[in-house]
Amino acid sequence: MLNRKLIEDALTAALSIGGDFAEIFVEDRTNNGIVMIGGKVESTMSGRDYGAGIRIFKGFNSVYAYTNKTDRDTLIETAKKAAKAVEGNIIDHTINLIKTDVNNINTIQIDPSSVEKTRKVQVMKKAYDTAFNYDDLITQVSVNYTDYIQNIMVANSQGLWKEDTRVRSRLGISSVASKNGEMQSGFYAPGASKGYEFFENLDIDYYAREASRIAVTMVNAKYSPSGRMPVIIDNGFGGVIFHEACGHGLEATAVAKGLSVFAGKVGQQIASPLVTAIDDGSIPNEWGSYSIDDEGTPSQRNVLIENGILKGYMIDMLNARRMNMDITGSSRRQSYRFSPTSRMSNTFIDNGSSKPEEIIASTEKGLYAKNMGGGSVNPATGEFNFAVMEGYIIEKGKIKEPVRGATLIGKGTEVLNKIDMVGNNLLQGQGMCGSVSGSIPANVGQPMIRVSELTVGGREGE
Amino acid sequence: MIDKIFQKGRETGLNDMEVYYSEGSSLSLKVFQKDLDGYSLSESEGLSLRGVYKGKMGYSYTEKVDETSIDQLVKDAAENALIIDSEDEEYIFEGSKEYKKVDSFNQALSNVGEEQKINFVKSLEEEAFRLDKRIASVEVCIYGDGYGETIMSNTKGLFLRDKSNIAYTYIAVVAKDGEDIKTGMAYRTGNDFNAFNAQDIAREAVDEALALLGAKSVKSGDYNVIIRNSAAADLMEAFTGIFSAEAVQKNLSLLKGKLNEKIASDKFTLIDDPYMEGGLASKSFDGEGVACKYKKVVDKGVLKTYLYNLKTAKKDGVDTTGNASKGSYKSSIGISPSNFFVEKGERTLDEMVADIDKGILITELQGLHSGLNSVSGDFSLAALGFLIQDGKISRPVEQITMAGNYFDMLKNIEETGSDLKFGMPGEAYIGSPSLRIKKLSIAGE
Repeated sequence: MLNRKLIEDALTAALSIGGDFAEIFVEDRTNNGIVMIGGKVESTMSGRDYGAGIRIFKGFNSVYAYTNKTDRDTLIETAKKAAKAVEGNIIDHTINLIKTDVNNINTIQIDPSSVEKTRKVQVMKKAYDTAFNYDDLITQVSVNYTDYIQNIMVANSQGLWKEDTRVRSRLGISSVASKNGEMQSGFYAPGASKGYEFFENLDIDYYAREASRIAVTMVNAKYSPSGRMPVIIDNGFGGVIFHEACGHGLEATAVAKGLSVFAGKVGQQIASPLVTAIDDGSIPNEWGSYSIDDEGTPSQRNVLIENGILKGYMIDMLNARRMNMDITGSSRRQSYRFSPTSRMSNTFIDNGSSKPEEIIASTEKGLYAKNMGGGSVNPATGEFNFAVMEGYIIEKGKIKEPVRGATLIGKGTEVLNKIDMVGNNLLQGQGMCGSVSGSIPANVGQPMIRVSELTVGGREGE
Repeated sequence: MIDKIFQKGRETGLNDMEVYYSEGSSLSLKVFQKDLDGYSLSESEGLSLRGVYKGKMGYSYTEKVDETSIDQLVKDAAENALIIDSEDEEYIFEGSKEYKKVDSFNQALSNVGEEQKINFVKSLEEEAFRLDKRIASVEVCIYGDGYGETIMSNTKGLFLRDKSNIAYTYIAVVAKDGEDIKTGMAYRTGNDFNAFNAQDIAREAVDEALALLGAKSVKSGDYNVIIRNSAAADLMEAFTGIFSAEAVQKNLSLLKGKLNEKIASDKFTLIDDPYMEGGLASKSFDGEGVACKYKKVVDKGVLKTYLYNLKTAKKDGVDTTGNASKGSYKSSIGISPSNFFVEKGERTLDEMVADIDKGILITELQGLHSGLNSVSGDFSLAALGFLIQDGKISRPVEQITMAGNYFDMLKNIEETGSDLKFGMPGEAYIGSPSLRIKKLSIAGE
């Protein structure tokens, strides 16, 4: 993307005042987005993101500068400006870049830019038709199509120089059901690190029906009860509980500065012995996978918790210095506009031994959260909240009537210890995760789990 | 370059066209334990094209703003227009008769030296630690500012230019008392650097964290609730979309068919004022180049208008309200309010609390992007706050949710406070005073 001499000169300029490490990241990305509402294409946008970010370390401190222009003058100028923010003695750096090939884990079969837009619209129409015709109560369906091709280059003063291409595709289906002046919605948005073949092989009808089924079920549901009770969270996107309640607290961003409740606890029992949790950015073609992270490190499988014992964190280069631990291939950013930091990739609770039907049958009274919405967490206190998109009452070991508007709240450390059953039906779900280095694609996942007691917020009493 | 884009566009068969260009620069400074541990700066630009091709509007953009991008821009816009099959007509605007001047650029801010900014953000952190020894850490302590300029130019002769600058600062502190951990935060935004007082800001964050120490849950049930100004503004922001004519026309707002009907209590008046003094979303023209105007969206509980852009106004046979949004060169035209706020009432928060025998004061709502459904109006949100007993704050409350329905809640507003406060500015700048709600359901123990 840039020639070797220019990269070396920019890195040298970045270190001209006293930094001890410099990195340059260049991104050239084409985006395609199509929005269909009510079966008609309402808007489309395509465009090109282009820019470069220069990062300098001096001890634990970092400087970041970005620009859209990558001509020689602008780049050297930007590097020098950034360098000025670093105090210290000049260290002599000799930069000698060695270009290394990236081992590509996400094989792409069909380049999305080679596919006619009308074919993409056909995919959307199919989703719309199935979702809209699912039930008479469905009054609106929106479909979002997204694909992008992100070409990146990363090089640093230690000689690393790599280029990579990431292709991702996603289809979002949102159905609204109406009844007696009330509306409820259901949502499904599968995605993958794949090209257009993703849409060709996707069971579009299944996801479209699911979105509508959730909306219709919820518009017919009564309000959720509230109070403390056992909660069964189903597989797939239910993994958002672990993502929010625990995952963010295991990112070096929070751990390095001692701001996480999990800081300093490696080797300690932090969860029920039934819990083994993994962050793995190296699963081929998954939504949150990447061949190399945004610092150029290959992705890897990181065991975070094994049988309840904290094994490790997700660590980027800068925080590795503060923590005196190894990097884990977890450094990510939304774009060249963000300085990268440790983030999750595909994060999931691993399979346990219980059969899902056993978990339900052994629950006397509680809430069954079949489909989850999003949530958030305060890493300092560990307090989390997340929304139940589709919930049911459980009574005497049986799934009873649907309930709407439930929110689950709690503290990460508590909930991890209260997981008392883990199923054997691990499934991944796709989401966008927002944090300091922007919004990035991430998988959440788990088999069905049961939490012995959680606070359920709803509108009805117990 | 704009002329060359238009020329290429005409050759390709595009009729009316518009270019939107923006450039800007930004600085952000982050302090951790007296060290400047994060420093970022940027200079960036982007350009977007929209144009009518075979009767439909097509969009494209690029961040590589040079002549090598022109062919792709025009090609993408034409291709994108071809797949549009919505019948709602989107068109390029020739310009309003007059534009009020809005001054969102403060030269004084540009003159503030970097040294001064670094000193400020370091003193902010220092101040927080100095205020109370229970402050165990300062999670985030940031100062940032930015400058931006936009140009809108079209083939119907419109040429508009706008520049602005803004500064912000944010601190989040962690208070620790034994095993009990609580966080508090405070922020300021505006383009007057001298208005940022490190002592006040640190005090606000520290007080908030300390006040929450010792918090416990409460018994589940229906409570009389006061939602404090900042939390009320956050909730308002999450439901802003229901006032958009686009949502109404697409059957995604329950305000459909409710014009000139009572949708809220008499106490509730909602104003969109693009010329508000000190407003951080003040502007003279909207995303389509239409002159902005002041309007009451809800007047004493009665819904007076939706928020319109040209396309949705044409569909409803009304005039646009000047609320077309163009978040950035990457966005297509949508709808957004400007400075959008609930009119304040007479009494202070303390006076409102004094009236309540048993209730809850909510000071923070969490999970606003997930715990609510803007279509149905249902919400169930994790919350923090205080228990009110006999007209006084009795103790802090945590691990609760506040649940209800927004449309019902609007009808149950018993009083609005005198303490109008605005949230962080985005495309819109949204504010609310504290709101007393007759009844909301609180889930706890």
